[in-house]
Amino acid sequence: MEQQTDLIRSARFRKEREGDWKRLDALVTQAESQGLRRMSFGEARDLAALYREATTSLAIAREISLDKGLLLYLEALTARAYLSVYAPQESARGVIGRFMRKSGPVAMRNSWFFVLLGFLSMGLGGLAGYLLYFDNPDWFFVLMPGELAGGRDPRASTEFLRAAIYDDDPDASGLAAFATFLFSHNTRIAIFVFGLGVFLCAPAILLTFYNGLILGVFFGLHVDRGLGWDMFGWLSIHGVTELSAICIACGGGIQLGAAVLFPGQYTRSESLRIAARDAAKLAIVAALMLVAAAFLEGFGRQLIQDVDMRLLIGWSIGALWLAWFALVGRTQS
Amino acid sequence: MRFRRTSNTPKADPNVLLPPEGVPLNLQVAGMGSRFGAQITDILITGIGMIALLILLAVMNLTSPQTLGAVAAMLFFVIRIPYYVVTELAWNGQTIGKRMMKIKVVSRDGLSLSAHALVVRNLMKEAEVFLPATLVLTLDATALWSSLIALGWIVGTIMVPLMNKRRQRLGDMIAGTYVIDLPTPILLKDLAETTPKPVKDKFTFLAHQLDHYGALELQTLEDLLRATERRTNSQVHAQHHATLDSVIGKIRRKISFADPIPPSDRVAFLRAFYNAQRAHLEQKQLFGDRRQDKFHADQTSDD
Repeated sequence: MEQQTDLIRSARFRKEREGDWKRLDALVTQAESQGLRRMSFGEARDLAALYREATTSLAIAREISLDKGLLLYLEALTARAYLSVYAPQESARGVIGRFMRKSGPVAMRNSWFFVLLGFLSMGLGGLAGYLLYFDNPDWFFVLMPGELAGGRDPRASTEFLRAAIYDDDPDASGLAAFATFLFSHNTRIAIFVFGLGVFLCAPAILLTFYNGLILGVFFGLHVDRGLGWDMFGWLSIHGVTELSAICIACGGGIQLGAAVLFPGQYTRSESLRIAARDAAKLAIVAALMLVAAAFLEGFGRQLIQDVDMRLLIGWSIGALWLAWFALVGRTQS
Repeated sequence: MRFRRTSNTPKADPNVLLPPEGVPLNLQVAGMGSRFGAQITDILITGIGMIALLILLAVMNLTSPQTLGAVAAMLFFVIRIPYYVVTELAWNGQTIGKRMMKIKVVSRDGLSLSAHALVVRNLMKEAEVFLPATLVLTLDATALWSSLIALGWIVGTIMVPLMNKRRQRLGDMIAGTYVIDLPTPILLKDLAETTPKPVKDKFTFLAHQLDHYGALELQTLEDLLRATERRTNSQVHAQHHATLDSVIGKIRRKISFADPIPPSDRVAFLRAFYNAQRAHLEQKQLFGDRRQDKFHADQTSDD
């Protein structure tokens, strides 16, 4: 048997607002299970209004009430409502569209210096490798991992090298080649180069430089046999896209590392967070380019056997990337 | 002269989040256990889903075995980072595993999660979760040095969240996010709303009798009374009555309450005392006299 008492102030406070809290509770549950998008206009409006009312109630209750049950309930309810009200409003399609139209190329332009450093690491590596090969062909065995060369080393005959360039295992299906590419050496390099950049730049630069060395000695071998131009075409069709992707990933990595090394007026973690705004976009650009390169490698390289055609396709796609980076997303001013 | 920078302001409580409305919210930072559980669940779900899809494709005989391998490779690529980004974007910071473990990603600045933050924290997952996980599987005692480096990496990635108060991985730090336990709102009855029937105004307390206790004691009493309401099991009944008796004894001694309490009125007395004490303390609090616990008198004289 219970009977009403004269309500004390905090109990009256609760009694007046309890209905609204219960309605908010129901709306929050609805928002969590089906998403804000499916709620009617009135429900969404009530959710936002009742949430703000609940935050006020919570602030008052903390001052005037000592009812632990009520305080815990209001804390939890307000937190749940907060999480529903401040949910991300973007759809996946909107995010992708915005990235392609604006934020991707803008990030590339913002961090052009780091991207340039990435290209320099690879380029200098390539040059060094090339010169080393002509210094002494044995460098090839030092620098080139065996499984990557696939028998294409200084001991192989010129015919074998030519065959490898112009006859790429014709019975392999395009899709299979595409898949093997995704897990190929270079994709792993791109991922590592970006991720390792955080550790003070050095691993990213070294790995890109080493990748350049491999490329340099490989190219040197073919130039030595008079296959330089053919090799250039073979590499160009997908390599322009693929190697650029590695350099861009390296640029993103260097940007993260530089933020840790030279934080300026921020704390290190804060500076890392600021740098990541652009660096993460560089990583996504690199990933997109790698997928594109996979298509080129999987289908293009076998279907197109002519050197000039390979050069034309490779470099014109390279020019398209450059146009995207340079022109898209500039605001009219 | 000070050589080390020491902050004068007390460290911010890691469990408090400040939304734009300016009313701080208590959100418990999720423990490593539930996050680990969610990660394992996600890996299992994506793995099993992928295998099921592949078996379906193989059984329906739509593709050649070679293409099947290619499809498998591509699926493997898609379930890594994109799965986490898309689910966290669609479900407001929760993957399927996180939904099951009732944890959620929130933004440290109190605003809504941005697509950028979600991409960053999941990009780093590659280096922080997947790489150590595969390294664990490839640890090999014969290749000592590479195993030691791998082990160092694994330990490092586990140490990072343990070293900071919000249990952030590197990816969380860069993205400015952390993971919380989702609170569940349960509205309990207000104890002060009603009192057991026979005793309205039977027990009255004077102001000086209510000056002994503070908020801590009041809320402990509240817990005890709520437990009394829930209890129906007869076995623990006797033990519980003994607890009530000793509590009543202590209160009576402390506040010098002379009248004896008959056993049938035990709960009624405590409820009446709770109501009176709460009204008294809340009244004091309204006028700026916050009493944390029964030592409040000593503290005010110290200051």
